[in-house]
Amino acid sequence: MTSFAPSLAEFRAASRLATFVPTTADLPWLVGYACAFFGAHHVAAEWGGHGYYSLLYPAAGFRMALLWLRGPRLVGGVVVAEILVQLATGIIDPASAEWSTHLVGVIRPPLVYALVVLLVRTMAARAKTSMSVAPMPLGLASVGAPVAAALTSLPWSLLRPDLTGVSGLRDVVTSLTGFVVGDLLGVLLLTPPLLWLVELATSTSAGTSTRPARPDIAAVTEAVLVLAASFATEVLLGAIGLGTPHTPVLLAVAWIGLRFGRTASWLSIIVVAAMVLPQTAMPMQMAERLALHMSLASIMVVGYLAGSFADAQARMRVDLERRDRLLFQAERLKTLRAMSVAVIHEISQPLSTLAIEAKHLHELTVSADPEIASTAALIDRKAAALSILVRRLRRFGGRTVDQPTPLPLATLIDTVAALAQPEAKARNVKLSIESVDPDLVVLAQEVELAQAIVNLVRNAVQAGGSEPVRLTVNTEGDRARIMVVNRPRTDRPVQPGMGVGVLVARAIVEAHGGSLVRDSDANGAMRATIVLPLLRNPE
Amino acid sequence: MQPRNETRCEPASGLVYVVDDDRDLGAAVARLLSRHGHVATPFLDPAPLLEIYPQAPAHCIVTDVMMGDIDGFDFADRVRALDSTVAIVFMTAWPTTANAVDSVRRYGGLDYLEKPIDEDRLLAAVCEGVAWSKAQRLASARTAMLTPRQRQVFDLLVKGHNNQAIAIALDISPKTVEDHRAAIVAKTGTNGIAQLIALAG
Repeated sequence: MTSFAPSLAEFRAASRLATFVPTTADLPWLVGYACAFFGAHHVAAEWGGHGYYSLLYPAAGFRMALLWLRGPRLVGGVVVAEILVQLATGIIDPASAEWSTHLVGVIRPPLVYALVVLLVRTMAARAKTSMSVAPMPLGLASVGAPVAAALTSLPWSLLRPDLTGVSGLRDVVTSLTGFVVGDLLGVLLLTPPLLWLVELATSTSAGTSTRPARPDIAAVTEAVLVLAASFATEVLLGAIGLGTPHTPVLLAVAWIGLRFGRTASWLSIIVVAAMVLPQTAMPMQMAERLALHMSLASIMVVGYLAGSFADAQARMRVDLERRDRLLFQAERLKTLRAMSVAVIHEISQPLSTLAIEAKHLHELTVSADPEIASTAALIDRKAAALSILVRRLRRFGGRTVDQPTPLPLATLIDTVAALAQPEAKARNVKLSIESVDPDLVVLAQEVELAQAIVNLVRNAVQAGGSEPVRLTVNTEGDRARIMVVNRPRTDRPVQPGMGVGVLVARAIVEAHGGSLVRDSDANGAMRATIVLPLLRNPE
Repeated sequence: MQPRNETRCEPASGLVYVVDDDRDLGAAVARLLSRHGHVATPFLDPAPLLEIYPQAPAHCIVTDVMMGDIDGFDFADRVRALDSTVAIVFMTAWPTTANAVDSVRRYGGLDYLEKPIDEDRLLAAVCEGVAWSKAQRLASARTAMLTPRQRQVFDLLVKGHNNQAIAIALDISPKTVEDHRAAIVAKTGTNGIAQLIALAG
């Protein structure tokens, strides 16, 4: 087994590089992206200007949606797709002398977008504040990426003003502002609906319903009234000659976002955009257009972040409620455990007598009438089995603060089998357990780890199905992989409350430095995989 | 009727007391031990046993840990005070790691058995306990015959001192030490220093 270890390590290093190469599953996404990018890029030309491409750049929205959905690892594919599109449309002309400048200009934004997505995701995974609760990270990335992309173009504009066609501080600032505004509008207008569409499409095919609840009439009325009032205020202010400040709309959108979440804030953003954008598509003063788009961008940023924040808060509240329920359940489990320990004690006393006497009876009747002998033998066997079960149960329920010790996986699986077998039998589900290599040892708290696996096996058993529940152990380099595989009955919805066992199992496995992944294969089989670090042989 | 298919522990059959507040279990364990050649008596309560103990010391005591007035560990301490050569085996329906360690380290228990009792382990523990107790009594019986001076020489001998060193330590002549040694060997029936050390064990 050990001789494979180096080749496995090489394989893993290679596969780390390979994650940046798009898979076949990514290809339709990339092709779709190239088409969308091509279309959106040209639509954007309507709002074009000097020193920047456009004050409304929907292509950035597609880019953000793709990178968020499929992960920043797709950066290579996105860059290639954008280069190909720009080659086809002649933006990058290999024959021209400035082709390399244009190439860099095309490569830079997707690179920065991917970097921002990566950063935000890493931060969200580590942070424990409301900023890291979905959909807040997406909101942060949607605002951060356009700004970062524009900032990275700054050195370029300063160093090579001749090539970018921008000279002077005023032009540079104009160009950057245009860039930020264009990308912000594109991302905030397009990314949320694109991600919703994908979510809707994938969730309906999987059969689980995550569609948003039907909007409440009162909420819709309130939002519409607030928005309408803000527009009216703006019109009124304009009519009495105070100019057209956009603060009322900004406040209205922020209010709607905080009150009703991301969907509502995005819808009001769309309404605002639909009123502003047709005006700015017409020929107008550059400064005026920029001002309008900047206002629009700020309304969008504020609205979208407010909506995301409200959603994140709502999500945290739901999480908190679930945790409260779990705590309550844990409390009940504690009581139950205390009761079982008491019951085990009460049973173990008479059972001791019973087992001793049954064995004696068995010994006495060996040469007696076969009928009596076999009955006595049966009683003895059952009493002995019950004694072992009670001892094992007590070990399971009693000690919890033991130090982790080296534990052969074969022993662990034996314990699990003994604990899970009765329920499997009662439910008429076959438990198929492959023999385990006795040399596989992990550092573990036996009781806890057994509990984790028992939880997974019990879930699998409770999910029913005609096929046996399989429990297998194998290795993957220096880690052990314990798998519970079953094929749940399709005619029955997922049982509520099944999550607690898995949550407990995950917490235990992670405390052991391992991981727990649950997935299903193409044939509908459910698979729970525990990966644990193996204890190295001292040799 | 002879019990079959088990290891009889003939050389170490001894007097055993079983203490458990569950009358049936105590009786069953006592009968089990009797079937395996020991002379076993069940007791429901440690107090009466402590009263009669000086008149009838046992080789081994099998006792429950959780009992009424006197718990198993308390009982073990009191019995030890009466007789340091009795082996004690604990059994319990509430096993804890701390108690398991204490029972062996602090109370000199030979084993700590979890209920329901593992029969083979109980029999092995009692057998070992009886053998240990008998060896202890034999050794103390032998050394009990020594005179105070012989006892001093014996104590120094088993610590590994030679005749010369013992003579200096006790301020007697090496020839006298030699005489005491011969007397010690004769009285204890031992043969050589190794057996003497084992006796002191």
